[in-house]
Amino acid sequence: MCINMVKVAFKVNGEHIELDVSPRELLINTLRSKLGLTSVKYGCGIGECGACTVLVNGEPVLACLTLTVDVNSKDIITLEGLSKNGLTDIQRAFIEEGAIQCGYCTPGFIIMAEYMLREVPNPTISDVKEYLKGNLCRCTGYINIFRAVLKAAKSRVSR
Amino acid sequence: MSVEFMFIGKRTPRKDAEAKVTGMLKYTYDLEVPGMLIGRIVRSPYAFADIRRIDVSEAVKMGAIVVTPSDIPQKPYNPRLVSINEVTFKDTYILTYKPRYLGEPVAAVAASSEELAQKAAECVKIEFEKIYKPILDPLEAIKPESPRIHEKIMKGDKWIEVENNIAARLDYDEGDVNRGFEEADVIVERTFKTGKRYHMQLEPKAVLVVLEPGGKLTIYTTTQTIHNTRILISQLFDIPESRINVIRVPIGGSFGSSIQTNYLVPIAVALALKAKKPVKIAYTREEDILDHSNFVFHFKIKIGAKKNGVFTAAEFINILDVGAHQVQPYPLLGTSLGWFISMYKWKNIRYRGIAVYTNKVPGCALRGYGAPEVQWAVETLVDEIAEELGIDPIDLRLKNYVGKGELFWGQGPTVKSIIKSDGVPELLLKGKEIIRWSERGHPSEKKGRFRRGIGVGRGFHTSGAGGPISGEVIDYTGCILKLNEDGTLDYITALQDHGGGTLDAHVKIIAEELGIPPELVNIATASTETTPYDVCTHASRGTYVGGECARRAAQIVKQKILEAAIRIIGRVVNPEALRIGYDKELKQAVVYVEGTDIKLTLAEIARTSWQRNWGTIGAFVSYRATSAPPSFTVYYVEVEVDTWTGKVKPIRVVAGVDVGTPINPDMVEGQLHGGFVMAWGMAFTENTAYDPLTGEIMGRGLITDYKIPTAADVPTPEEFTVIIAKTYEPTGPFGAKGLGEAAMNPAVAAILNAVYNAIGIRFYELPVTPDKIIEALKEKGELEW
Repeated sequence: MCINMVKVAFKVNGEHIELDVSPRELLINTLRSKLGLTSVKYGCGIGECGACTVLVNGEPVLACLTLTVDVNSKDIITLEGLSKNGLTDIQRAFIEEGAIQCGYCTPGFIIMAEYMLREVPNPTISDVKEYLKGNLCRCTGYINIFRAVLKAAKSRVSR
Repeated sequence: MSVEFMFIGKRTPRKDAEAKVTGMLKYTYDLEVPGMLIGRIVRSPYAFADIRRIDVSEAVKMGAIVVTPSDIPQKPYNPRLVSINEVTFKDTYILTYKPRYLGEPVAAVAASSEELAQKAAECVKIEFEKIYKPILDPLEAIKPESPRIHEKIMKGDKWIEVENNIAARLDYDEGDVNRGFEEADVIVERTFKTGKRYHMQLEPKAVLVVLEPGGKLTIYTTTQTIHNTRILISQLFDIPESRINVIRVPIGGSFGSSIQTNYLVPIAVALALKAKKPVKIAYTREEDILDHSNFVFHFKIKIGAKKNGVFTAAEFINILDVGAHQVQPYPLLGTSLGWFISMYKWKNIRYRGIAVYTNKVPGCALRGYGAPEVQWAVETLVDEIAEELGIDPIDLRLKNYVGKGELFWGQGPTVKSIIKSDGVPELLLKGKEIIRWSERGHPSEKKGRFRRGIGVGRGFHTSGAGGPISGEVIDYTGCILKLNEDGTLDYITALQDHGGGTLDAHVKIIAEELGIPPELVNIATASTETTPYDVCTHASRGTYVGGECARRAAQIVKQKILEAAIRIIGRVVNPEALRIGYDKELKQAVVYVEGTDIKLTLAEIARTSWQRNWGTIGAFVSYRATSAPPSFTVYYVEVEVDTWTGKVKPIRVVAGVDVGTPINPDMVEGQLHGGFVMAWGMAFTENTAYDPLTGEIMGRGLITDYKIPTAADVPTPEEFTVIIAKTYEPTGPFGAKGLGEAAMNPAVAAILNAVYNAIGIRFYELPVTPDKIIEALKEKGELEW
C-alpha cells in the first residue's frame, strides 16, 4: 500500500510523541497499538459507547471517531496519565462505592467524570446523568457510578 | 439465624479494583504478542444459501493465510458443552458451504495488519449455487411444506433426521390437567412473545491463539469456561487436551454470551495452525452481534384458579426460536419448564416445549436462561387472575408460591432439590410497605398526561445446577489452595469472574474459614493445565458452588496448619485445642491456645514447614453441589407513563433479595442495580429486528439501533432501595446462595405490571416501545392527540 504517511507531533500524558501515521489512522489505534495505552477501550467503533473517551486539550473526545492527524500539536490525557501520581479522588470513590464490575467501561467513565468535575464542581444528580449518558455500562446499572461521582465531587469541593 | 462473621457481610474493596480504575487490567481485546497475525472472518451475505465454490486466489496473492471449509475438519459440533454428550445436539461447522444465517462464517483470512486482513477478506469471492428465501418465523418454519434448514444433525454420537425444522422438544405432564381446568372458577389464557435481545457486554468477543515451541497451543479468549473451551478445541482438531492450554483472562462482561465457545475461537485455531504463527481475532461490535444473541420466546399459557385463589391447573406451550444453530436449546426447554413449575403450585401441568430452527443468528443463554421471560409471563397472568378474583396480588402470590420444604426444579427436570431457605414472605411484605402498595390506586382513577403506577414481580434463579443425582447437566468445580512459604496463600481456580466479584467472594469465604485476613489470599492466574475442571461460571453458581469448594479447601488447609503447629509446639495434644485468628498487635494471622501464652504466627508455621522439609500445606478439592437452591427476588417498581409520547420513566424501585448470607453486601446491591436496568432494556427497547426479505439484522447490527439503557434512563440512588432478606442457606458456604440472574429475573414483570397500574393496558409482546403504548392508548380511546 502506498499511502503517504504524515508526521504528527502531540503530547500524551505529558510526554512528547512524534509519529508517522497514515492520514486515515484512528486515534484509538494509535493510542492502543502504537503507544500501548490500553485503558482506551474499543467498545463499538462508532461513538456510541464512550469506552474510548480521552481528553484532548481538556475536552472529552471519542478516540474511535478521531483521526490521529487531527490531534497534531494537541495535548492528550488518557486514564494512564490521570493516575500518574496515584489514585485520584474519583478513582478512590469508584472503588469505595462499588462502581466497578467488569471494569471495561470504567476508564471512559472516569475520564468523563473528571471532565465533568472540572466543568461543574458541584454537580446535581441531573448533571451527573447528563454528563455520563454517553457512556454505556451493562453491569452496574449506573447507580453506584452516580454515588461515586457525587462523593468525589463532595470531597473535591470541601478540599 | 444470626451468625457473627469476621469478614463475610462486610464491605471490602475488590482485589482487582485498582487495576480496573487505572485501566491497567488487560482483557483479551488488549492482548498482543510479537509477530501475531490479525484474523478476519468472511461471512455469508445471504441468510440461507448453498455455496458452489470459494475463490481465495486474490487473497492468497496478497500474502494472506486463508482457510475455507475444505481446510477444516467437517465435524458437526455444539459450542456449548454444559450438557452431557447424549443430549448435546451438534449441527454447527467451523466454516460452512451451507450458510444458514446472514453473517455465518464461510472462510477466514489472517494477515500482518488489520487493514491488510480486511482487504484480503474483501477479496475472497463466494460463488453461490442457490439462494433461498430465509425462514424467520418459527411458526412458519414448523409447517411441513417449509424447506428444511437442517436435514441431519448429531445427537450425542448418533445422526438424527430433523423434521419440520424442529431442533429439539420436551413434553411433560403431571396430574390431570383437563380435570384441573374443569374445577377452576377462573381461567386466563394469553400468548406472549419476547424480542431477540443481544447481550451487549462491553468487551466484544476476542481470541488470541499462540503456537508454543513444540506445537502446543495457548489460547486467550473471552470465555466463561476455560475447560470447556479446551475440550471443544481438542475434540474439533483431534489435539490431546494436554497440548492445549486455555488461559483465564479478565472478561469485559458476559451475561451468558460466552458459556459456549465463541465461533471465533476454532476459526482462529485453524488460522494459527495453518499460518504457524500467533493469530488474534477481535470482533467489531457489528460482528459481535452475529456471534450469538438470545432466543426468541413464544409462549401460550393458560392458568386455572378457584374463587379462593388456589390454582387448579396450568398449561404451558413454549415455542423457542433458536436461530440457525443449536447452542443447546434443549436444556432451555427444560429450564423454561423448571422456572414455570417452581413459580407456583399449579397442581396439574401440561407442558409442550418445541425448539425451532430459523435463519437468524443462533440464540444462546442471556442472563436468566429463560427465567426473565417465563417470570414476566407468569407474573403478568397472576396479576390478571388476582384482579379477576378480587384478591390482592400479594396475597395470591403468598398463597400459591413454591417455598420452603417444597421440591424445587433447579435447571430442568433432572436437577431437583428441596428448598431449605426462603425469604419470600419477608420480601413481599417489607417491600409492600416501602413502596406504599396500598396507595397505588386503580388505573381507572388515573387521568392526565403523566400517569403513575406500581407493580410487583416475584421470582428466583437457581444457585448452579447441582443436585443429589447426576442428571443431564454437568455441574462440578475444583480448586487448589496452598500455603506459601511466608504464610500467604495462593487460591487457584478455573472459575471465571465476569465482574460480579465472584472470586472476591471466594477469598472472603477462605479468609472466614481460616480466620485470616483476605489480604493474605492471592487469586492466582489460572489456566486449564494448572486447575482442576470447572464446568463454567453460569447459572449463578459462582459463589454457591465455587465458594463452597473454596471453603472445603480452606477447611483442609486449616487442619494441616494446625497439625503443623502441633509439631512445632509439642505440648498440645490435638488440633481442636488450637484457634486461628488475626492478631491486631502483630498484624498477622496467628495460631494460639486460648487462656495460655502459646502463640505462633502463620508465617512462622509456613516457614518452619518449609525449612524443616515437612512439605507444602495445601488442598486439592473437586466438588459437586448436591442442591441448586433458589435465590428469591421480589421487585416493586413505580413508573410514570407519558401518555403523549409513550415514554416510561422509573420513579422508585424496591429490590428485595434472598441470597442467604450476603458475602459482599455492596456487590449484592450492584447486581440488583444492574439486573433492574437490564430488565428495563428488555421491557422497553431491546430487540434485534430482522429484514423480512433478506434476513439481515436491521441497521446492520450497529448499536445505534440497539439501545440499552443509559445513565439518563435509570433511577437515582435515592430512588432505589435494596432489601436483603435475613435467611441462611444450610447447604451454601456460610449460608450463601447465588445472585447474578435472580437479580434481574422478575424485574420485567414488575415494571410492566406497574405500566398496567398506570394506564390500564397490558402488553404481551416485548419490547414495549413508545409506539406500541401510543397505539394501545389510541385503541382504548385515551390518546389526547
